[in-house]
Amino acid sequence: MHHPGDGQKPPPPIESVKENMNPDDTKLSALLRQGRVSPTLPPRFQENVWRRIEDAEAPVLSAPGLSWLDALAALVLRPRFALLTAAALVVAGALLGARAGNLAANQAAHAQYLTAVAPPVMR
Amino acid sequence: MNRSLVIVMGALALCVTLFGGSYLAGQRLCQVCVVEPPGGLGWLQKAFHLSVAETARIQKLHNNYLAQCSVTCRMVADKKQEVATALNGTTSLNPLVEQKLAELADCRAHCESQMLQYFTEVSQNMPPAQGRRYLAEMQKFALGLPEGSQQSVSEPAGQ
Repeated sequence: MHHPGDGQKPPPPIESVKENMNPDDTKLSALLRQGRVSPTLPPRFQENVWRRIEDAEAPVLSAPGLSWLDALAALVLRPRFALLTAAALVVAGALLGARAGNLAANQAAHAQYLTAVAPPVMR
Repeated sequence: MNRSLVIVMGALALCVTLFGGSYLAGQRLCQVCVVEPPGGLGWLQKAFHLSVAETARIQKLHNNYLAQCSVTCRMVADKKQEVATALNGTTSLNPLVEQKLAELADCRAHCESQMLQYFTEVSQNMPPAQGRRYLAEMQKFALGLPEGSQQSVSEPAGQ
C-alpha cells in the first residue's frame, strides 16, 4: 500500500499504465522473454522417469528366492543368447542323431550280413 | 503363476523340442543315407577296411556261397519236414525218426562246414590282420558263442 507522504513515488495512474501496454512494443517483449526462467533438466531425466514408471508397474516379489529365476528369465529373453542356444541345440541334436543313425544303420547292415550267410533255418 | 517361471519353463520346453527334433531328423536322415542294398557287402568293406579289389573278390565268393547255401537250406528244411512226418502220431523215437534225425544232423553239419569254409575263404581275401579278426568273429558266430562279437566287429579297436 502506498500512502501519500511516505516518501515513495506514487504509482502512475491506470490510464497511464494502459497507455504503456502496447503489444507491439518490441523492447518490452524482449525484456519479458529474457526474464522468463527455463530450468535445465537433470541428465537422463526422461529415462529415469520411464524407469520409475516401469518399477511402479512391475509386480512386487513376494519371495526373495525368486530373484535367480528372474535373472534367468531375463537371460533367456535376450535375443542373442536365445539365438545362440537354439543354434547350439540344433547342431548338437543333429550331430548326435546322425551318430546314432549311423550306428543303427551299421548294426542293421551287420545283422543283414549274418542273416544272409547263416539263414535262421540253418540254425 | 510367476511370469519368470512361465518364461523359463517355456524356454526349457522349446529347448527340448529343438534338440529332440534335430536329433530325430539327423538320425532318420543318416539311416536313409547309409542304408545298404540287400546282398551288398558295404558293411564288410567298411568294418574290415577292404579295398575295392578285395571287396570284388569277396563279393564273388559271397554270391557262390549264397547259391550253395540256398540249396543246403532247402535240404535242411526238407529233412525237418521228414522228421516232423516221422514223428507224427508217435509217442516214442522209432528207428525211422532216428534215421531222419541223423540225416538232418548230417545236413546241418554239411551246412556248418560249408559256412566255415566260406568264412575261411573270405578271410584269406582280406589283409592278414583283418582276416584273422573276421575269422575269429565269424567262428564265434557260427559256433553260437556268446554275442558281443557283433559289437567288436562293428567297432574295431585301434584300427
